[in-house]
Amino acid sequence: MEDAIVAILRSGTPLVYVTLAGVLAQRAGIWHLGLEGLMIIGACSAVLGVVQTGSLVVGLGIGIALCVLASALLWFVIEKLRANPIIAGLGLTGLGLGGTDLAVQAIYGSQASVNAPYGLPRLGPAFGAFGVLSVLVVLMPLVVFAVWVLVRRSRWGLQLTACGEHPFAARSVGVSPSRMRLYALCLGGVLCALGGAELSMGSLQIFAYGMTAGRGFMAFAAVIFGAANPLGATAAAFFFAIVQALGIRAQILFGDKVPHDLLLALPYIATVIGIWISGRLRGGAKAATSFGELRDY
Amino acid sequence: MIGPLTQVFRALVFVLIGLILCGIIFEFAGYSAWLMFQSIAEGAFLSARAWQNSLRWALPLFLTATGVVISFRCGFFNIGAQGQFYMGAIAATFVVDGLTGYPPALVIPLTFLAGIVGGAVWALWPGLLRVRSGTDEVITTLMGNFLAGLFLVYVTSGPLKDPSGTGQAASSRPVEAIYRIGAANSLSPAIIAICVLVGIGAWVLVNRTSFGVLSSLAGRNPIMVVWQGARLSRLGLAGFVLGGALAGLAGTIEVMGPIGRLSSGMLPTHGFTAILIALVANLSILATAFVSVFFGGLAAAGLYLPVLAGLPAAAIDIINAAIALFITARAWPKRLTNLFRSRRSAA
Amino acid sequence: MTSGPNAIECRGVSVEYGDVKALIDVSVGFAPRQIHAVVGQNGAGKTTFARVAAGIVQPVRGTLAIGGREVPVGSVGAARAAGIELVHQSFALPPSFTVAEAMEFGAASGRGVFTRGELQRRWRRHLESLGVTVSPRERIRDLPVETQQAVEIARALVTDAKVLILDEPTAVLSPSGIDNLFARLRVMQANGVTILLILHKIREVLSVAETVTVLRGGRLIEGPIPTAETDAGHLASAIIGSGLESLSTIDREALVGADDEPEHEATTPAMAAERSVPVLELRGVSTRADTEGPALRDISLAVGRGEIVGVAGVEGNGQRTLVRAVADLADLARGAIVLNGDDVTRRPLVERRASGLRVIPFERNTEGLSLSSPLWENWSARTLLLGGLLNLINPARLRRDCDDSLKTWDVRFSSSSQLAGSLSGGNAQKVILAREIDGTATLIIAAQPTRGLDVGATAFVWRALREAKARGCGILLISSDLDELFDISDRVVVMLSGRISGEFRPPYHLGEVGAAMTGAGR
Repeated sequence: MEDAIVAILRSGTPLVYVTLAGVLAQRAGIWHLGLEGLMIIGACSAVLGVVQTGSLVVGLGIGIALCVLASALLWFVIEKLRANPIIAGLGLTGLGLGGTDLAVQAIYGSQASVNAPYGLPRLGPAFGAFGVLSVLVVLMPLVVFAVWVLVRRSRWGLQLTACGEHPFAARSVGVSPSRMRLYALCLGGVLCALGGAELSMGSLQIFAYGMTAGRGFMAFAAVIFGAANPLGATAAAFFFAIVQALGIRAQILFGDKVPHDLLLALPYIATVIGIWISGRLRGGAKAATSFGELRDY
Repeated sequence: MIGPLTQVFRALVFVLIGLILCGIIFEFAGYSAWLMFQSIAEGAFLSARAWQNSLRWALPLFLTATGVVISFRCGFFNIGAQGQFYMGAIAATFVVDGLTGYPPALVIPLTFLAGIVGGAVWALWPGLLRVRSGTDEVITTLMGNFLAGLFLVYVTSGPLKDPSGTGQAASSRPVEAIYRIGAANSLSPAIIAICVLVGIGAWVLVNRTSFGVLSSLAGRNPIMVVWQGARLSRLGLAGFVLGGALAGLAGTIEVMGPIGRLSSGMLPTHGFTAILIALVANLSILATAFVSVFFGGLAAAGLYLPVLAGLPAAAIDIINAAIALFITARAWPKRLTNLFRSRRSAA
Repeated sequence: MTSGPNAIECRGVSVEYGDVKALIDVSVGFAPRQIHAVVGQNGAGKTTFARVAAGIVQPVRGTLAIGGREVPVGSVGAARAAGIELVHQSFALPPSFTVAEAMEFGAASGRGVFTRGELQRRWRRHLESLGVTVSPRERIRDLPVETQQAVEIARALVTDAKVLILDEPTAVLSPSGIDNLFARLRVMQANGVTILLILHKIREVLSVAETVTVLRGGRLIEGPIPTAETDAGHLASAIIGSGLESLSTIDREALVGADDEPEHEATTPAMAAERSVPVLELRGVSTRADTEGPALRDISLAVGRGEIVGVAGVEGNGQRTLVRAVADLADLARGAIVLNGDDVTRRPLVERRASGLRVIPFERNTEGLSLSSPLWENWSARTLLLGGLLNLINPARLRRDCDDSLKTWDVRFSSSSQLAGSLSGGNAQKVILAREIDGTATLIIAAQPTRGLDVGATAFVWRALREAKARGCGILLISSDLDELFDISDRVVVMLSGRISGEFRPPYHLGEVGAAMTGAGR
């Protein structure tokens, strides 16, 4: 049982950090499909930082700086150049995946993965089975609470929500939606860097090309599933982590009888069903994306 | 109103901005940007061999991109081209594998039919969810891509596994030579003919039928066409299904033509590139043909770089991503515009 | 009369949106602790003026002083800090917010972090002090229109507002709602707040304001002049810019408000007989809950040939659902819809349109036109839908036909390939008329066909409807403008909460219709 909880916390925590970043962006009115890219930049920077400089702090610092920079770039493209957020977000994801690949190849040649000498600080043996959990897992509930207060129980959060829901309302009380989006995206960049670092340095201490394996998109699905509420989205992220853990468990139990790849598909199927149901419950035949603006005469 | 020339100019400028960003990233990573771009050009366009390779990649991309154009014009953000491409390839492989031994005149048409239906079905369910329940198609098609990718891994290491396979990626048995419509990595007249036919058909559909006008209206303002009495679900589903069918056709061609077998993780960026092509072409069928050649060239260079130039193929992914980042941009930063304006008024 | 510096003073304010000059060198000052009205036609720059004063719109030139002190223009923060608050014409509160949250998100004082209970306690007091009876827990989207407006005003007063600007506050209200609003404004005025009302009905101006200022074509024409020293006729000519004598009756009625007993052409017996075959008949129609308004409950209504039936009611009482039901966009629970004698209850809109139904929808820019599409696509949508989806078309010919049609409808446009969004409101409405009103039309549903149009375009729409009526079309006219309804309808029905609460024939009596609109008669 303890093992299962540890497994779920370990696979769920990176997802939760990235999901919270997605919540902030969603509240501000941006569908954030660049999460995957930011996450892998965070994961890569943490490992390369430690390997190259020998300092974990520097590694995390570089990760946070790069993610904030990339988020600001995304903001510039969406807000100032009026690009479509979804395509631009996918572009950012591609930049993250390709850029980290390029960086690893530039430094280590065609090596597939990079090992770090040590990972994030852990709780230690005093906590028994939970001793392997990293400090970011322990901080995670605090971060969730902090984001919840920020979004749901502060004036800033109300203004942020107004920017996404009714930008004109925000402007008419003197709040600039554009600026709020910059704040939300950059804050999200920090969270993505942490989520990425937990992924690569929390338990494995390794960076491999494409190691996020769609977690950023899963986080985005959790944001939608959780109706952009920090608590709901966190719950959705853990739901995905549990399904994944169950899949691995089932594979151990049933072996070859249940194909592994189809079990891996469970979270995606759950996302589709979840979004379908939440859409039905809200009774909205309206989708949030409109493609009219992509073509003009 | 923005004239067509301005559009082309704008697309070029944003592609250029993307390339400049790439150059900065290359330099930052320790590669010579100049050498990188030069090698890419060599791999894509600077020799007859390179042109042949580029066209080989451009043709399937053109098919998928045409499908993306049609579904985007209907106003649906079907980003599931990758999954539809996979499902088409998988369905085609099942048929061609299962019917081995029958005459090609029977097998080849059935395989194509299966591939087209496979792709169309994989677009149909997000389409149905969208028009019936309002489930956002961005998420469903995105998830559909992951699901199709996993399914591809499953079939290539399970039902369709080549028992004699030794390569690092699991794959199906090679398609028998008598069923192939093109040799390995070369141009085939049959594929060119298919692309020309699809291109003409799509152009007529988009520019010369009621469907073209009404789907374009629906894409820009679905509410208005509903008040005119159009059945949005029909227009929308048609867009989804056509998009899926064309992506499935492209998948079939890859299996029956140049690649000649199904392998796990094959062409993982095909769908994304097709979406880029559609957007760079500003959702015009004619422009899609030309833009496909450019991106086909990049794809060809992606194979050329690591083998002949000793440079990482990731460079191509970065170029595609950077173009994606900027290509939908619709405005210049205000300060820049003001600068231009004051210059013009001063002159 | 009053001393001290003006509550709000603009000097040389000019605003441009691209090439359009919305305000041209406007200099005007408003004395403190009074109710001022700013009037003008649509497009005269009233809303722009209000937004400049509130800092939402940045003028290209000009200065703004509040209470005698200069304030930077184009900054909502600075304007709010100086005590200016604006209540928008279409409401500007996020619909998912609770009332308490809607108060808080624009507040400037107090802690930035709160608990839900704290928030509700704090704003319940505020709402009570303003006499707004609404629970702070309610969501904005669940509030009826009049409460929403009260909440919007309460939102504007969360800071210590010295000047309150209301942009067209009466447009959404019933006659009694308007009276309540004006009473509330007078209380605020007594408490020392300066009030600026953007209005377009002269009758309302004269009944509530102490001064009136007239804008026309972005310029200041007059003002502020005390309302006691002017009259409706003078104001009307100032607003329109020509002597009132030269105005047609229609134009004058559009502006001033029709007299209570307008003249109506006598109905000949022959016409009455014609009308006995209704082009539209609703028999006991009820709908399921609709996403865009209350459900219809047992509506029975007939529109005869050559008859204009007006539908009055406070907005949001089922008028939308009525139109949607006729256009097969709402879910019918019971009843039948009969068009030209055929039961079309189960037929889709495209078939109903084929048998003569035409709809001029409520929202010109979303339901009527696709603004980012070229004119010819907008114009040809109806006819294209009559054929199959795969029918071949000739775009060049469609463009030519569109050109010809739009010219006969007097649309000002340069090319049928230009985007619909580049047309002014009046011209855009004419494009819709050109598409919807043709020789084969038998029933025209005109939903708010003149909303937001200037006097000339309004008169054009009315003429078009009257001509269609003369050709034998039945017309169902939905409007929130009672003057308009009284003026051109042969009959007026009133809707209240999804039911028909009254039917009136000329001569109309404003009081009776108003009572039916609010249910006060029962």
